[in-house]
Amino acid sequence: MRFGRRADPAAPLHVWAALGLLAPLLWALAMPLTFLWQSLPAWRHQGLDLVAGAQWFYRAERFGAASMIFGTAAVSLIAIALAAPLGLAAAVSVHSCLRGRAGLMVKALMELLAGVPSVVYGLLGVMMLRTWMYGLLQPLDPISGDSLLTAGVLLAVMILPTLATLADDVLRSADARPALAARGLGLTRSETLFSVTLPGAARGLWAAVLIALGRALGETIAVFLVVGRQDNQPLRLSSLIEPGQTLTSKLGGSEIHIAAGDSLHWSALMALAVILLAISLLTTFLGLRLAGRRP
Amino acid sequence: MTPRRFRHVRQRLAFGLLFLGFALALVPLVWVIGSVLRLGLPGLDPEFLLTPMSGGGTAGGVAGQIQGTLILLATAFVLCAPCALATALWIGALAPAGGRVRVVGEHGLHILNAMPSILFGLFVMFVWVRTWGFGKSWLAGGAALAMMMLPTTTLAVLERFRSTPGEQLDAAAGLGFSRARVVTAVMLPRAWIGLVTGSLLGLARAAGETAPILFTAVIFSGAGFPDGVRESPVLALPYHIFVMAQDVHHPDAAARIWSSALLLVLIGSLLSLAVFPLRLRLYASNPGF
Repeated sequence: MRFGRRADPAAPLHVWAALGLLAPLLWALAMPLTFLWQSLPAWRHQGLDLVAGAQWFYRAERFGAASMIFGTAAVSLIAIALAAPLGLAAAVSVHSCLRGRAGLMVKALMELLAGVPSVVYGLLGVMMLRTWMYGLLQPLDPISGDSLLTAGVLLAVMILPTLATLADDVLRSADARPALAARGLGLTRSETLFSVTLPGAARGLWAAVLIALGRALGETIAVFLVVGRQDNQPLRLSSLIEPGQTLTSKLGGSEIHIAAGDSLHWSALMALAVILLAISLLTTFLGLRLAGRRP
Repeated sequence: MTPRRFRHVRQRLAFGLLFLGFALALVPLVWVIGSVLRLGLPGLDPEFLLTPMSGGGTAGGVAGQIQGTLILLATAFVLCAPCALATALWIGALAPAGGRVRVVGEHGLHILNAMPSILFGLFVMFVWVRTWGFGKSWLAGGAALAMMMLPTTTLAVLERFRSTPGEQLDAAAGLGFSRARVVTAVMLPRAWIGLVTGSLLGLARAAGETAPILFTAVIFSGAGFPDGVRESPVLALPYHIFVMAQDVHHPDAAARIWSSALLLVLIGSLLSLAVFPLRLRLYASNPGF
């Protein structure tokens, strides 16, 4: 009886842990719900045109996000198309030719670059890249150096080290035995690489690409500085070399302050947040599935 | 061509292409680091770090911005660490092994980790700044950054829990410890190092983030050390660069922006290089971390 009554010194742990868990749990649930709730008036006002419509004139209460979705898709696809081959090539080269200390040095360098803040990339974009792009595109007579293409190229530079280091992680943690066996069977190093190592790591590498894509989709600051922030660009290929708008550059811009006094306008911006959240969720979800963590 | 010769040539070709890709990948990286160093290093001296900005960014240094960034980071750390520890305790120690809480919890963390940071800023702006009437405040900005750091820190602690030696757990169970007692006696002491390194990793990212603090905490000039919570914005290094990059065309300002950028890169890299070995270990159990 006396033993049974003696308090377990660790018993309050559950209580403390539950209290500490409350804040993150509430936040994780409240964030998407708040965006949804705040965006309801806009969905009611505009219906599916909110996603499919390409006209955004807030004074006329017309809210269509299609050209911003187009902008986000264009910018991040350009980024991934440029960064994926180079990043994967870099990771595979490092993996197959640099062992031990040298490999770790390169890895640390990639980590370092992956940690460069996006505003610094934005600064490089403003000060240098957009001038170069303007000069490069002279034959096409662009309006300015700020364009979806410039933003895409800048994002490519930004996600390149992230992609390379993620891909390197995948290769590093892959099972080395099949490759050894293949070498033992007389396959050359490149044959081993292309018919054993890479197919074995393919899912992980795709996951790395998707995670890098997710980072490009959600980037605000670097894109904001060089994308031009021009609403309602038409959904066609030639818009790529013109100033455009993405979901994030719209959400990071001054319209948030303009919308403070207008609940429908605010609601439409919250709908953009919902769309961005959904795109990001989808990408991450796919990436996690590919990485072998089945949700 | 003999088959053997063919395979040899093919090998050369394959690696040639790979190295070409690698070399091309190095070009933008050299551009980034080279530019920031070349343009930022000349102006980065003690005076720049210790004097406050004047003349709208064309004179003086960034002392105020450094102070503001440190306030935001310290706030984020204080808010994030206990929550991360508690979350990790539930997901990694108290919930039954292999159960639903663990699976859902870890996925949730990975998904939060990949969330666009502007969304944290918007959420905190709606709740703290507007609904609760805080206005722009260092506390709100710290909260937004804490949200961003939480998954990173929690996953680092979880990793420590996961690598607890089985012998220690068996020994504790053999002594007749309750589950909670096993956690406090065996697992919790392991958590601290994960908490510290995970927090550093998170802070390295948070230090350079602009989007979460854009609407919640920062102004460009005119904020000193905050003397309250409501309507008490701060200056911050990333926001300083963000505004200067858009608006300031004065040549004296340009040199100062580059030095600020270099400073920000240095802060971030110091924090992340400090925990580089952990980052390597973390990956083993968190693909895509």
